[in-house]
Amino acid sequence: MPSSPENTFLKSSFLAVVVLFCIGPFVYLIGLSFVTSWPYPSILPESYSVDLWARMLTGSGALVSSFFLSLLISLIVAATSTSAGFMTGKYIAYHKHKSLLLFLAYVPYIMSPVILGTCLMYLYIKGNLTGSTVGVILAQTMFAYGFSIVFFSAFWNHRIRALEDLVYTLGGSVVHAYKTVLLPISKNALLICFFQTFLISWFQYGLTLLIGSGKVQTLPIKVYEYVGEANIYYAALASCLLVLPPALLLWANKRFVFKTV
Amino acid sequence: MFLSVRELKKSFGKDEVLKQLSVDVEAQSTLSILGKSGCGKTTFLKILAGLESQDHGSIELNGIEISQRPPQKRGVVYLYQEPLLFPHLNAFDNIAFGLRIQKVDADAIEDRVASLLKSLGLSQHALKMPDQLSGGQKQRVAFGRAIIVNPLLLLLDEPFASLDVETRATMQHLFKDISNQFGITSIFVTHDLKEALLMGDKIAYMQQGHITTYSSKQAFINDPKVGVLKEISFWSNLVQSTSNPE
Amino acid sequence: MNSRSLPGKIGLVLFLILAIFPIAFSIGYAAFYSLGLTGLLSDGFTWEHWSNVFSRREVWGSLLLSAYISAFTVLLTVGAALYISIRLRSHLSKGTLSYAIYLPLAIPATVAAFLVFQLLSGAGFLSRIFMTLGLIDSINQFPDLINDAAGFGIIAAHTGLAVPFFTILFYEIYTSEKIDALSQLAHTLGAESRSVLYRVTLPILIKKSMMNISLLFIIVMGSYEIPLLLGRQAPQMISVLTMRKYEMFDISEKPEAFIAALLYTGIVLVLLTLVFRRSGAKHAI
Repeated sequence: MPSSPENTFLKSSFLAVVVLFCIGPFVYLIGLSFVTSWPYPSILPESYSVDLWARMLTGSGALVSSFFLSLLISLIVAATSTSAGFMTGKYIAYHKHKSLLLFLAYVPYIMSPVILGTCLMYLYIKGNLTGSTVGVILAQTMFAYGFSIVFFSAFWNHRIRALEDLVYTLGGSVVHAYKTVLLPISKNALLICFFQTFLISWFQYGLTLLIGSGKVQTLPIKVYEYVGEANIYYAALASCLLVLPPALLLWANKRFVFKTV
Repeated sequence: MFLSVRELKKSFGKDEVLKQLSVDVEAQSTLSILGKSGCGKTTFLKILAGLESQDHGSIELNGIEISQRPPQKRGVVYLYQEPLLFPHLNAFDNIAFGLRIQKVDADAIEDRVASLLKSLGLSQHALKMPDQLSGGQKQRVAFGRAIIVNPLLLLLDEPFASLDVETRATMQHLFKDISNQFGITSIFVTHDLKEALLMGDKIAYMQQGHITTYSSKQAFINDPKVGVLKEISFWSNLVQSTSNPE
Repeated sequence: MNSRSLPGKIGLVLFLILAIFPIAFSIGYAAFYSLGLTGLLSDGFTWEHWSNVFSRREVWGSLLLSAYISAFTVLLTVGAALYISIRLRSHLSKGTLSYAIYLPLAIPATVAAFLVFQLLSGAGFLSRIFMTLGLIDSINQFPDLINDAAGFGIIAAHTGLAVPFFTILFYEIYTSEKIDALSQLAHTLGAESRSVLYRVTLPILIKKSMMNISLLFIIVMGSYEIPLLLGRQAPQMISVLTMRKYEMFDISEKPEAFIAALLYTGIVLVLLTLVFRRSGAKHAI
């Protein structure tokens, strides 16, 4: 059916709105991080400065250390939960009670981290883990691991099992099977899961606040702290540090989001 | 006897898939097993390869009881219905896979794989990835990958089922030639009557977890339950009715 | 075959330690605490905390608010994402939108809450536009869009976060289920565009994404960061209420935090069971 000019115009406008909705937040956050004064009710800010960025990039100020602490925590959480989920996913995928085990794996994946964390506080207190980076890593890993199990129990299938069997009948050991076949063909899936679990940790706020007792100052904690202090320009800067790295990775490679194995 | 299987039993829950199954295969010969889907063929082959474990029974291969051995210590290679190639390796590397596991010298691998590729008519496809190969070419690579490790026993689970009629005929001949050339002992499972007759030096019929091996092709043809007689009468009736129209 | 199953066995041990044990412990500990069997103020078994919760509206109000916010978020998200994915389908396969639609996935709940606050608060961007356009004369005339009774800000933030994900999901399903070919087939069978939409496109998209839609409901219900910044003091969404009661100086409130946690967990488990029954444990994500 040929579309009328009005129809085309409406569609283009709608497209522009959706693109603006996707890109707008980033433009706004970056812009806001350069603002020094923006009195109500002006539409545009009054003055700008590169001070906040300069201070941050020269390494002074708390944000840089928060950035690297977040990076460290998220890398450990992603590596641990991806490798653990890779193995548990395999166990579940080939299990005769797959459905029940998968149900149990979904629970930490969908439960409110804050509520589950509250109920586990006793263990963390007894283990002297509250207020510590290790405690935060452990707590975040539990949730990222739930995601990783669910992800990998869909990855392991009959075809991959047949390929593994083939290695054994051709004389290969378990080490051979993993080194020469299973890991190479899982590379994509491992990468996607690593990225996703990295984000789960990178974005985590409530659980980090609870288990870290506010002492483990990751980037999301900083964002909230600045928002709470009504320090919106700092909050915008912290938000930029939080969203720009994953946004750039997503722009570079959309495959991080959906499974294309 | 080169392969001697005695009283094999296997159940999945209440489902008794193999019932006291016994069968023998002579060295350097092919036993073709005819069976409908669901008769337990695949389970039987997987038990022979060590990919499933039996509930009861023994498997003796070349004078050695192998039924407790892991698959990598049996010398039994299983060829799937669909040509299952390692998706990250090209045709050459797929065929070389088993030799590399055995840590065979690189030059020897190069020579052996190249000569096999030639026998399989795949020389010009050596560097192609699996998704660039046709169904028949893939199955030839899978076949080459299996025989290059000199297995004691090769198991073929309806390997040509997914191929078109012409490719299938070519593959059947190729398999026969190479089997003879390499002196391979094999079990060839199929649900195709003609293929069973064509491929096997001996023929067996599998039904409801039991195997009957026939002493000769004639004995197989004469058994009404395998369906050859029915087939013959269908064709002869057809010929008669078309040559003597009312 | 033992060495072969070793990685799977390690997987099982990790599963028991990292997934099953924490869940079992949380439920057990919360139940004990709520019944006065453990905790700082424990004097032995009592139903008192439970009867307190049942006689007051705070926890129930919180659960209702959470369910209401989730339901509206799901409705708006699915509606908007369906519309975008069908209307702008060709732009999702190539061009700017095919990249841009992925960008919001890099926005965490914390930042989404901050952005919605910036946009919708009394002195926010929208209010500035209203003022400039002369639609309002003073900041007080701007309607309460955050910390409001209807949870407008919370729903806006959640919907904004979820729409891009669901748009991509619907688009992927549209392609993988070959809906284009099926629609053409329906046309050749005599269906009008409208009936193709209602009898082919929408049923397939919704059926295939049912698991994800149900999970969105469950996840929004337990959300914390967004209602913490954009919600009201009372009623609060369940995660915010639980955390507040747990962290209060008045430790007599703690057992109620655990009751709220137990009720929430119960609801999640029931919903998840329903989801699994319906979908036959097919995978989400």
